[in-house]
Amino acid sequence: MKKNNSIKICLAQTNPKVGDLKKNIENHLEIISGAKDKGANLVVFPELSLTGYFLKDSVYDMGINIYTDESAVLEPVYKAAKDLDISVIAGFVEKDADFNFYNSSCCISKGNLINVHRKVYLPTYGMFEELRYFKPGNGFCVFDMEGVKASVLTCEDAWHLSSSYIAVNKGAHIIIVNSASPARGITAGLNKFNSINMWEELLSVIAFYYKSYVIYVNRVGFEDGIGFSGGSCVFNPSGEMEKKLDYLEEGETYADINLDLLNNERFKTPLIRDENLNLTLKEIEDILNKKS
Amino acid sequence: MKKELPKIDEYNFPLIYKHLSNFIGIEVSKAGVNSVVLGLSGGIDSAVACYLASNALGKDNVAALIMPYESSSGASLDDALKIVKTLGVSHYVIDITKQINEYFTEERIGTDEEEIRVRKGNKMARERMSILYDYSYKLKSLVLGTSNKSELLLGYGTLYGDMASALNPIGDIYKTQIYQLAEHLDIPKSIITKPPSADLWVGQSDEGELGFTYETADGIMYLLIDKMYKPEVVVSLGYDENLVNKIYDKIKKSQYKRRMPLIAKVSERTINIDFRYLRDWT
Repeated sequence: MKKNNSIKICLAQTNPKVGDLKKNIENHLEIISGAKDKGANLVVFPELSLTGYFLKDSVYDMGINIYTDESAVLEPVYKAAKDLDISVIAGFVEKDADFNFYNSSCCISKGNLINVHRKVYLPTYGMFEELRYFKPGNGFCVFDMEGVKASVLTCEDAWHLSSSYIAVNKGAHIIIVNSASPARGITAGLNKFNSINMWEELLSVIAFYYKSYVIYVNRVGFEDGIGFSGGSCVFNPSGEMEKKLDYLEEGETYADINLDLLNNERFKTPLIRDENLNLTLKEIEDILNKKS
Repeated sequence: MKKELPKIDEYNFPLIYKHLSNFIGIEVSKAGVNSVVLGLSGGIDSAVACYLASNALGKDNVAALIMPYESSSGASLDDALKIVKTLGVSHYVIDITKQINEYFTEERIGTDEEEIRVRKGNKMARERMSILYDYSYKLKSLVLGTSNKSELLLGYGTLYGDMASALNPIGDIYKTQIYQLAEHLDIPKSIITKPPSADLWVGQSDEGELGFTYETADGIMYLLIDKMYKPEVVVSLGYDENLVNKIYDKIKKSQYKRRMPLIAKVSERTINIDFRYLRDWT
């Protein structure tokens, strides 16, 4: 239940075992139970937290049609969410009725599936090859979770600023970014990987200019030599980092999201109120017309 | 504006150190073992790898194999022993002179000296690999690679010799950065200051053989590879055209050394072509 117009979120920075659904579910259950003990309303896990990230051909083995009997494998998560009166966001490989696969994140609240986000922007460059295996999602949903309006962006989704623009204008107050971001690039004088630095700058910009809470949950561990950077964190609508987990280490941290503060920020700096959606629409139509 | 190879300094070192230690710890445990074996030459690359492994796995889970040949420098042996003593890791000294000389007794007859020198160098590298893999079995350990990014890109290594390993913590770190890493790991000065050499014959020097310094090559390779600049763009940034082309050519010509052997595709699903899984596949 919400207290003082706030919710407590557990950021679960895990190290999923690639291709081992059973083991990852066990780990999720343990963390969910611990989070409940600390009074959390919501636990957020990283992208593809139930399966691991660089699945390659294993995508075929990991797909679950969450609307059929195949979702029985997730039953322990549903049960934990129900018994513990808690919400959980976890990443998995979704399969639809036409046998398409998606890089998806489900939100299970108190035993019910309340939202599935299918990752829209599938990076297929450099070390990434998501479009080889997954079908892109077709939108960004805002859903009510524990009385708060939330939207999920998965990793690369957040690198397209149009995604968070859509989410906040659709009414999101908190933006949840789950990711599996590899640590890469070093710079003299900088005490973090370049990739981490880019993320923190981006998340701060989204939080400040879209006047929202941003919850970033990234994974750790290695898959074939590629290490994920962790550093899960929370930015408030002033663009300040409120909480952060260590880079490269498993762990959990808790953040109290206070909607009174969001109210205050949105009144003082009403960027979302003043957003001219008609202007954006007109300009986008012009862009599309010119392109065609 | 000249873009430069990023320096490993006191700011980024702690995270890089943790990252490389995690890499060794996690990837070794995934193989179902808890230890590594590596060839320790007394040079800076294997010294850095040994320090990283000792930190990641604990000194009792690292075995260093020191495998001199009759012409190997005595200073190299001293430096290798200094490392194992400092870290307290177990070590084995295995002289490879006998088997190398035995093989070349007949082979060298009627063969050009220069060719024999290169063949002997390769044979020594592969002999050491063969012993490392034997000890890998004996000690239930993985072979830790010690090739840096500079030599891997330039192809300055022996295929299935010193390039062979199960996992390599320093293969994405240029030689120039290896020196910086070594400073922060507190590796003995004598190892850091001596000129780089494969020590396959008396007086051999990496930079003498390559015809350029690692520092120059690394600056160029950082732009060609990490930044993905075309050679002509690198030249436009003020680098010598002949050198840029020479280095780019070396990288291209040695690509085969960095890949698995080619397999003729016959079936519908072929290993490493369209049969695609992580090595960490479960």
